[in-house]
Amino acid sequence: MAIPVVGLILGAIFGASLVLTGLTDPDRIIGSLRLKDFHALRTVVVSVLIALLGTWLLGMGGVAHLDIKPAAIVTLLMGGALVGIGLAITGFSPVTGLACAASGRIDALATVIGMLFGAHVYILIYPSIVAPLEKILNFGQVTLPQVTGTSEIPWLVAVFAAGILTLIFTRRGRSEHAELPSQTGLGVSEGNHPAGSAALTTDGLDAVGVLRMWKNFLFVVIVLSLVLLQAMFWLTNTGQVELGRDAGSGAGTGQSAIEANPSATAAIETQEPAAPRLLPFDLTMDHITAAVNSVNAVLIFASVLYVATAYVALSISIGGGLGGLGHVSRAFYLSVVVLILLLPWQILFGRVGLGVIYAPDELADSCMTGAGGTLQTALFYLRFTGTWALAMLVLILAQRRSIRWTRAALRQ
Amino acid sequence: MKEPSSQTPPVPWWTAGILLGLVQVLAIGLASSLDVSSQLVIADAKTLEHVAPEYAENHPLISDKEYNKFGYGSWLGIGLVLGAFFAALHLRMWKVRATSAWWRRNHNDPVLLRLIAGFCGGLCAMLGAGLACGGVIGQFIGGWAQLSLSAVPFTVAVFGSGMLVAYLIYPKTLAKDGRGQ
Repeated sequence: MAIPVVGLILGAIFGASLVLTGLTDPDRIIGSLRLKDFHALRTVVVSVLIALLGTWLLGMGGVAHLDIKPAAIVTLLMGGALVGIGLAITGFSPVTGLACAASGRIDALATVIGMLFGAHVYILIYPSIVAPLEKILNFGQVTLPQVTGTSEIPWLVAVFAAGILTLIFTRRGRSEHAELPSQTGLGVSEGNHPAGSAALTTDGLDAVGVLRMWKNFLFVVIVLSLVLLQAMFWLTNTGQVELGRDAGSGAGTGQSAIEANPSATAAIETQEPAAPRLLPFDLTMDHITAAVNSVNAVLIFASVLYVATAYVALSISIGGGLGGLGHVSRAFYLSVVVLILLLPWQILFGRVGLGVIYAPDELADSCMTGAGGTLQTALFYLRFTGTWALAMLVLILAQRRSIRWTRAALRQ
Repeated sequence: MKEPSSQTPPVPWWTAGILLGLVQVLAIGLASSLDVSSQLVIADAKTLEHVAPEYAENHPLISDKEYNKFGYGSWLGIGLVLGAFFAALHLRMWKVRATSAWWRRNHNDPVLLRLIAGFCGGLCAMLGAGLACGGVIGQFIGGWAQLSLSAVPFTVAVFGSGMLVAYLIYPKTLAKDGRGQ
């Protein structure tokens, strides 16, 4: 009788929680999908983060009763799309539909009846349609760490970062009226522009338009470059790249900052992939070297231009008496922080200062050295992924600030 | 029938999220990840056992013993309904309602149409949950909590299709009354 009691109590707590949290209100769900009311989305994101952390801790203690669903990609995509359609039409998911029906909603009751029919349809079509589809691109009951051959920590960090970013982006916007600080810190008081400066304001607004275009373009370039850089790290780290004799041969832009383990530099052997091949073609270190060097160059140029654009925007805001000075100031300083985070300081300072940009031979040496203890593993991922995530976050914050500046300036 | 607009939840979003997350952790620690959508398939399977026993016996899915037992998941579903009912009563949120504010704004409050849409939406949602072996709670929250690979395509598909369809069905936003904006 233990299982029924546990199920009943857990279910009751769960059902009560759904009512308490407001997820039984279809308006909240629709509002989230329409990107107007983020209560439901933020609730779900926080619950995912808490559940992730708790499950990880339970797993470390060996008391987690995991239930990994099979990763049959085709049926997952189809099923997810149908769930999304149902969610959008009604504002109820299969679970919240039950809870809502229990809360007195007649429309939820109709949804539950529909769900019963849906279950029946599923059973009817299972042998002829679902069963064959489930066999296509079915990777089995696997987790993300298992697929990538890594530990859980980088994935924990990645999911937490994604969750926090979602919470930041769905934060209720502050009032975006133009900010007029009494002192800009650059010796110019914004409120003192002379009356009749309509022409100056008009020219300033024209400049805002141009700067907005370039700022957005550079932002996209930097984001794509960062994503590519991170992708190349993961391709190398998960054994998709042959780290043969060509590893880092004469093409690096700088010296390796992390002193390689002598045993790793002694005899470079071809490394067998630790995970299944995900790419339909072979990747060698030559390809990675060329790609990393190109991306590094683009990244440095684009980020310097991004900072310059922010500085020009700041100057125009001050000189033209445009609004949003607080936003553009923050955007400028955040863009400077991004540039500082990106630059490869390891060339000058060795291990003391590391930039997001890495040299191909540094990447090859680090991946071939492999992970030592937990601390080494944490430092390894912190260096290649942690700093990257931080730079990406600051970049996104800078872009958000600049978007607010643009709106404030154009509104004026 | 004049219905209230969106109700303010009793707890703020971060408290709500922590509460739901802890419930999921409790479930994983005590028994198994929360997943109620499969129970509707089990309920239908048990009905077919009585109505068409030969069909059920030869069916590749419901002939499995997993679909014959009245276990943890079934009690979870019963508890869910009871818990929601009593919580709504206690918080004075239990009220007979037939539409939502978004529906009234976009479709001029025809209750029959809402009920038909609810039926169709429920059919889609449950069919999708069957295909994906779980719904929003089972695949999305549970999947990400366990870093399951299946959570990735599911998340993309749910939010992608959900946002698109929501925009098509509810193009008009709510009035600026402090709710839904």
